[in-house]
Amino acid sequence: MLKIRGSYCSSRGFFKREKEGGTAAVKMKRLMIPFSAVILTAFLLAAPGRIAAGDKYQEMINCDLHQGACTQNLAGSTITLTVTPRPVKAMQDLLFQVTLAGKLPSNNKLPYIDLGMPGMNMGPNHVQLKPAGKAAYEGRGVIVRCPSGRRTWQATVTIPDVGQTKFIFDVIY
Amino acid sequence: MLSTKTIFLLYLSTGFTIGFGHCIGMCGPIVVSFSLNLKDKSILVPQLLYHLGRIITYAILGGVVAAAGSFTIVAANIESIQKGVMIFTGVLIMLMGLAMAGWVPLGNVFGDHSHPGGVISKGFGKLLKAKSTLVYLPLGLLLGLLPCGPVYTALLGAARTGMEINTIYHGILAGMGLMAAFGLGTVPALFLVAKLAGLGWLKSRAIIYKVGAVLMILVGFVFVIKAVRF
Repeated sequence: MLKIRGSYCSSRGFFKREKEGGTAAVKMKRLMIPFSAVILTAFLLAAPGRIAAGDKYQEMINCDLHQGACTQNLAGSTITLTVTPRPVKAMQDLLFQVTLAGKLPSNNKLPYIDLGMPGMNMGPNHVQLKPAGKAAYEGRGVIVRCPSGRRTWQATVTIPDVGQTKFIFDVIY
Repeated sequence: MLSTKTIFLLYLSTGFTIGFGHCIGMCGPIVVSFSLNLKDKSILVPQLLYHLGRIITYAILGGVVAAAGSFTIVAANIESIQKGVMIFTGVLIMLMGLAMAGWVPLGNVFGDHSHPGGVISKGFGKLLKAKSTLVYLPLGLLLGLLPCGPVYTALLGAARTGMEINTIYHGILAGMGLMAAFGLGTVPALFLVAKLAGLGWLKSRAIIYKVGAVLMILVGFVFVIKAVRF
């Protein structure tokens, strides 16, 4: 306990010396006056939008995975994505199935899916797909829940040598 | 198949980028509130203890999901605890704001007159006065349970990695290590925000504390609303 208090005092001394460092440091510290207010205010301003059931990203939705499969065209290939069980809920194990028509990936390269939220970095959430029939692939994954309340998610399907496409959809929390 | 060293570096770098890209916005208000609450005291040790607590909780969760071999089962079991922690965080930030501005005597809030030795009263009193720097360690341990999308994603990966390792023991260690690396990666961003918000040199500027207190009360309120809707 005493040791920690000692180091605490030492760190105060360090910052005190740092404070005496010159005008640049003083100017820097003056910038800090509004900094905390900006952080807290920005959080408050953003919060009502996050809390509201809807969000601006809902306009980007191009797929209703709750109802069934979604299909998109990509460079001579048709990609169909199905997610089960339906309706698609967060925080549960999901089966992602991708079916291709037209141009297929070369050399037995496997397609994969990256799950994320438009406009928000949720960390890498990769679903590796395995062959499940002719031009069909499947893999298991989980869509995590965002405490902000936003429910718009995207599945970026990458077909090696063909390209990638985004399925943007609503998820139930 | 990536090597273990590569996966650890991946988690560390993911934590680092998530810290600047996500945590500043979502958890920045918490560390800023702590900085404001510390007033003229140094934030260095309290913040480091807070982050250490958070990292320990992440590591424990990483070990648990790796042992369970399932992220979703563990997540379902801790959901109500997370909701409680979110409400606690909101209430704590609101009380910090009220106490900082001196608007509400804490003794009245917790009924110290009738129950001066009450657990809640004593606990919150220690937190809010923060006389002991060590109090930030249990605070970090608890707030490490706050629901967070990127933490869920990292746990998902830790569960998968744990399952792929032959023995449960090594799987648990891997899960713990990966989550600790992720947590460590998030520290620089949050520490930077807390340091910039440190108001130790402002002790004579009462108005700043009043404004900060109002914002803290509102932020705490938002946390409680989010928790209720979670």
